[in-house]
Amino acid sequence: MPEERAILEVEKVCKSFPAVKALDNVSFSVKGGEVRGLVGENGAGKSTLIKIITGAYTKDSGSMQFDGREVNKNSPLVSKALGIYAVYQDVMVTPDLTVAENFFLGHQPLIGPFINWGKMYRESEEFLDEIGLEIDVHKNIKELSIAESEMIAICKALWQKPKLVIFDEPTAVLTRSETKILFRIIEDLKRQGTAVVYISHNLEEVFEICDTVTVLKDGATVGTYPVQELENVDKLIPLMVGRSIEEMYHKKETKVGAELLRVENLSGKRFKDISFNVRAGEVVGMFGLMGAGRTEIARAVFGVDHLDEGKIIVNGEQSYIKKPKDALDKGIGYLPEDRRKQGIFLQQDIDFNVNVINFDKVMRAGVISYGKAHAQAQDYVDKLSIKIGSMYQPISQLSGGNQQKVIIARWLCKNPDVLIFDEPTVGIDVGTKSEIYRLFGDILSSGKGIIMISSYLPELMGVSDRIYVISNGRVAAEVQKEDFSEEHLLTLAMKNLVSKEKIKEAV
Amino acid sequence: MAGKRQRKALAERNLLIILVVMWVFLAIATKGNFSSFANITNLIRQSSINGVVAIGMTLIIITGGIDLSVGSIVGLSGMVYAIMTSTRGEFKLSSFWGILIALAIGALVGLVNAIAIHDGKVPAFIATLGMMTLVRGVVMYVSSGRMVTGVPTEYRQFAVQEFLGIPALAWTWIILAAFMMLVLKYTKFGRNLYAIGSNEEAARLSGINIRLNIYSFYIVAAIFSGIAGLMLGTRMAAGVPTGGQGYELDAIASVVIGGASLSGGVGTVLGTALGALIIQTIRNGGNLLGVDPFIMQIFIGAIIILAVFFDQFIKSRKKGEGLKKLFKRA
Repeated sequence: MPEERAILEVEKVCKSFPAVKALDNVSFSVKGGEVRGLVGENGAGKSTLIKIITGAYTKDSGSMQFDGREVNKNSPLVSKALGIYAVYQDVMVTPDLTVAENFFLGHQPLIGPFINWGKMYRESEEFLDEIGLEIDVHKNIKELSIAESEMIAICKALWQKPKLVIFDEPTAVLTRSETKILFRIIEDLKRQGTAVVYISHNLEEVFEICDTVTVLKDGATVGTYPVQELENVDKLIPLMVGRSIEEMYHKKETKVGAELLRVENLSGKRFKDISFNVRAGEVVGMFGLMGAGRTEIARAVFGVDHLDEGKIIVNGEQSYIKKPKDALDKGIGYLPEDRRKQGIFLQQDIDFNVNVINFDKVMRAGVISYGKAHAQAQDYVDKLSIKIGSMYQPISQLSGGNQQKVIIARWLCKNPDVLIFDEPTVGIDVGTKSEIYRLFGDILSSGKGIIMISSYLPELMGVSDRIYVISNGRVAAEVQKEDFSEEHLLTLAMKNLVSKEKIKEAV
Repeated sequence: MAGKRQRKALAERNLLIILVVMWVFLAIATKGNFSSFANITNLIRQSSINGVVAIGMTLIIITGGIDLSVGSIVGLSGMVYAIMTSTRGEFKLSSFWGILIALAIGALVGLVNAIAIHDGKVPAFIATLGMMTLVRGVVMYVSSGRMVTGVPTEYRQFAVQEFLGIPALAWTWIILAAFMMLVLKYTKFGRNLYAIGSNEEAARLSGINIRLNIYSFYIVAAIFSGIAGLMLGTRMAAGVPTGGQGYELDAIASVVIGGASLSGGVGTVLGTALGALIIQTIRNGGNLLGVDPFIMQIFIGAIIILAVFFDQFIKSRKKGEGLKKLFKRA
């Protein structure tokens, strides 16, 4: 049960950056044993607020109290000493050390001057057993999957016995069963009287795990609501953006035209016998569980990964795509899954990031005309209404959603016939999501086709005309719009999996 | 908010200010000796060979790599030219063929570096460290460790030639630097360099041929070292087996003072040129002031560290973290 006294009390905090006012008089308090959801669009100020609480940023004005004490000079070290622990999206573990060492980092058990390895492994094992995770504590972190190392990062936070734990998009890389373990951990924390702040764009999760939810919008608090009062996601979204979920997924009707891309019997490292096609004016969805092979298929079609056999037919012509350049020349584009690692050029400015594949259009005799290059980049930045200070601002200064929009601007400027979007809305706020869907309409009405890869079914069902379900590296089925239902698609996605238990778990 | 364009220009402007301040100080301290036309042109000439090597190094450092073999390539190309053209040698080729062969062999070393780094996945530091030793060994072996003289007259005279009162060596540097500035800014080769240096995976997914580009960067860098080797040869009027030894360090220092980041994606040819001038100004000015050359070495070392230190300081001040705290406490 939540205590009466708030453990964290942030009052009237303001924080400005050169271009924007990130937080404007924000007050926020959490009680021990309370699980508080923190939601809002990208750029609403969630990350800024968290960074002020953990001391990564200094507030311009306002006050912060923790555990009854005024925190004047906050810093990451101070907040940690107070018992505030944040699990960030970027996993905070040391890849070359073992799981056990990561837990004990900085306070290893000693025998004399030597490290007591036996004790370290034993206690780590007991700790993981208690949580219910089956991970070998002798393994180095880099030998684990992304999801496993994320779980270790979360466990590491608990190891410190904190008074407040902040989760920032913890489930983005987790499977459903790992998410369940995480939720059980959160329940445990709650029972022990620990306060939890839970940030996620996945609002269903927020409803599942949180007691109360605070909505931030444009750097100000809209309000804090008990979850029972809100009833469901549809009531929460309008508070964040003033837009209902039906409006978001609204799609213009476009005429389906000629076949743009046809793939026949494609086989590669993690997929076999894949056939599908895309016609002008349609969105073809690709659904599957993590590791089903969707991204691998897309990468093979785009020429990144090696293809064992199969035919790729673009605009009625058989094409030999051996490298991304070939795919680009044929009119196929690919928006990669991991924006940070595969999409953006972090040190470069926005102009560069849009133009990087589009210099060809503004070159004469091998010389780039910057006048034209700037104009075309500006044109697409305006079209996508990307909020920026200047075209020459480093892309690193933009929020995640705006970075994604810059990459979309890059591809819209390139204007390929078929554009593959691989999880384009992961970690992106509702407002930007709906803008991306709106852009889909523009792309389709100009006679292009879209392949959309997504793990989020409501989204995929909303935007797609047909969905190919990929299961264990094969096409399990092609499902038409009238047959869309979450249950049906999920069942198909598990078709080729041996274990029946997994199906039960996920549905 | 200062856009990146302004920021970049700011870094170069700061270097220019530092250079001007140094020049004004030295002009006053040496009672005008430093600022004489003869000394300034001399200074530019002295910077020119390191300056040309550093252009190539700029490319490599923007990719996020490093090339320690450039100094040995300087020695190799000067020696190959001398052996090919020496009137006392067995080939007695013309200067044209001498230059062509010298640069081609230099380029070959660059290609081998690139293959080891890109395809062999050998870290650039290790691959080029090995290559540095290997190539120097080759130079020593083919020359039996002796100078090779008897090079053509026009080659020997190039170093003393002037145009508009400025030495031909200085012109070589100025023209090559200006050319590369334009190439990096206005061609896809240049844009690909920054793309690969910032994010190789994203560059690959943007249809950029990573292998071809990495090969060309290392080859171009090696050719610049080859040209520097020929420039050195014209000054020495011979092929010198130890020629270019330690040049890689001056080149790296120039690039780093010029504002490039060793983690890649950031750097300019203009910044590097200013960096090369700053290093040479300290040497030249110290000489005129009669400062002990050993003390000068200490000073140059300190400048390299301070240049990066202040760069980090300015960055951390913007973010409000890191070094700033050190100063607060102190």
